[in-house]
Amino acid sequence: MNVIQVEHLTKFYGQARGILDLSFDVHEGEVFGFIGPNGAGKSTTIRLLLSLIYPTSGSATIFGRDCIAHGAELRQDIGYLPSEVFYYEGMRVGDLLHYAASFYRRDCRQRLRELSELMELDLSRRVDDLSYGNRKKVGIVQGLLHSPRLIILDEPTAGLDPLMQRTFFDLIRQENQRGATVFFSSHILSEVQRLCSRVAIIKEGRLIDLQDIRTLQRDNYKKIHLVAPGVDPERLQVEGVTGLQAGADGLTLNFRGDINRLTGLIASLPVSDLTIEDLSLEEIFMHYYQ
Amino acid sequence: MRILMHELRRNAKSLLTWSGILMLFVVVGFAKFSAWYGNPEMLAMLDAMPPAMLSALSLRAFNLTTVTGFFGVMAAYYALLLAIAAVLWGSDVLAREERERTAEFTLTLPVTRGRLLTAKLAAVVLCALVLNGVAWGATLLGARGYAPEPALAPFVTRTMLALLMLQGIFVSVGICLAAVLPRPRRTVSAAVGVLLGTYFVSVIAGLDARVDWLKYLTPFRYVDAGVLLRQGALPPVYRWISAALIVTLLAATYLTYQRRDLHL
Repeated sequence: MNVIQVEHLTKFYGQARGILDLSFDVHEGEVFGFIGPNGAGKSTTIRLLLSLIYPTSGSATIFGRDCIAHGAELRQDIGYLPSEVFYYEGMRVGDLLHYAASFYRRDCRQRLRELSELMELDLSRRVDDLSYGNRKKVGIVQGLLHSPRLIILDEPTAGLDPLMQRTFFDLIRQENQRGATVFFSSHILSEVQRLCSRVAIIKEGRLIDLQDIRTLQRDNYKKIHLVAPGVDPERLQVEGVTGLQAGADGLTLNFRGDINRLTGLIASLPVSDLTIEDLSLEEIFMHYYQ
Repeated sequence: MRILMHELRRNAKSLLTWSGILMLFVVVGFAKFSAWYGNPEMLAMLDAMPPAMLSALSLRAFNLTTVTGFFGVMAAYYALLLAIAAVLWGSDVLAREERERTAEFTLTLPVTRGRLLTAKLAAVVLCALVLNGVAWGATLLGARGYAPEPALAPFVTRTMLALLMLQGIFVSVGICLAAVLPRPRRTVSAAVGVLLGTYFVSVIAGLDARVDWLKYLTPFRYVDAGVLLRQGALPPVYRWISAALIVTLLAATYLTYQRRDLHL
């Protein structure tokens, strides 16, 4: 069964493009990655799914029901974590979470306590005194406290420290194992790769690819910079290497394929410094469509 | 009910502040009245003033040396204060969700926009009702010091009921503007602008018989305390216009807010 089904969804804000003719579906129980650069239309898509805004044309269903006509009912089973979290000024974290919990038919008290402990929340603080990261943690608890069947995350890790990110990813994995479907929007490819089974790539409002994560990983490019004085750059020109450049500060190249082949080769060279990093999404896009 | 209670809590501080302002206004008003109370010399001074000015300050319809007359003059200022509170609350209750960007929280809860709107409207109407009651109570208490005429209490009650209608209009104006206008940050100032605009129209309408028709354009003229005192009730035409206005504005609010994009 498809938990989310999007058909020819288009949104214009006046003359400005939001998304164009977007169609895809999210299967039950999967973690679906939704990646694209800033301004690609990720948040627009999510807001359309939550009927915060209305489509110019096209339609979307969640659990097989139209997301506008049945919006309020559907949201009983949706947990949403926005990219920026804003709450009512002056309210205490605990009061706010209990207020949110009171809207769901399910009894959420137990889960609210568990999640707050996991996220190390101080329930007595006022929400407007919280830092960006701590507000995000409140958002995570609020988005998950009703054990939703569909979890929608919009750039969820921004503002979380690495430790908290790990806790968060573990949490999402558990929710997924429990049976929740996850729609994960991000502009960071690596975090999508850690969790997702399929990935949709969106750019300038259009879906440009929808792939199984394994395919994408096979296509995973690394950006390599090394300082190896006296080494002929030609020695690095092996299969999988593109964009080899020799500069005053060393060699840069992009690599795709079995990383062992390259590390083996580098080990045999007199290297004084080495950096290996993921290509940014923009760079991936550029390679993807060469 | 949850949303209603929540909105009431959020509005409590503002309601307290406005109650304080109104009570202070009543206290200061009655302190000034002690200079007029039973003092015919003041009337002689009024007669010396130009009639247009008297009319602009609505000093013509009443005998200022009686409590009833004094309240009649004050009623115009009651109207202004209650209307300002109403239009501020009405516009803010909806606009602040988008202005403070909490709409993304509130409207992703399993609640329909219609239900949210109804709860918010109910909260604001309740606050307006309480404020009206505060003004009514403070006036009757303040009048006690001046041996009020028996006609005073019913006149105050009728006036406050008429002002309740005015508040209803301005709550509707405020919430409708919040639903319709594209920029939540400017909604409240737009609402206050509309209010001041209609208030000045009401002042102008009283200045010259040639622009008397302007009175239909401004709710402040619908609730003329002078008319209430002389006729004992508001003219039906104003009551109908008010009811029609409120219904139209609220219908527009519900229709627009349920179908429009939120500004996030």
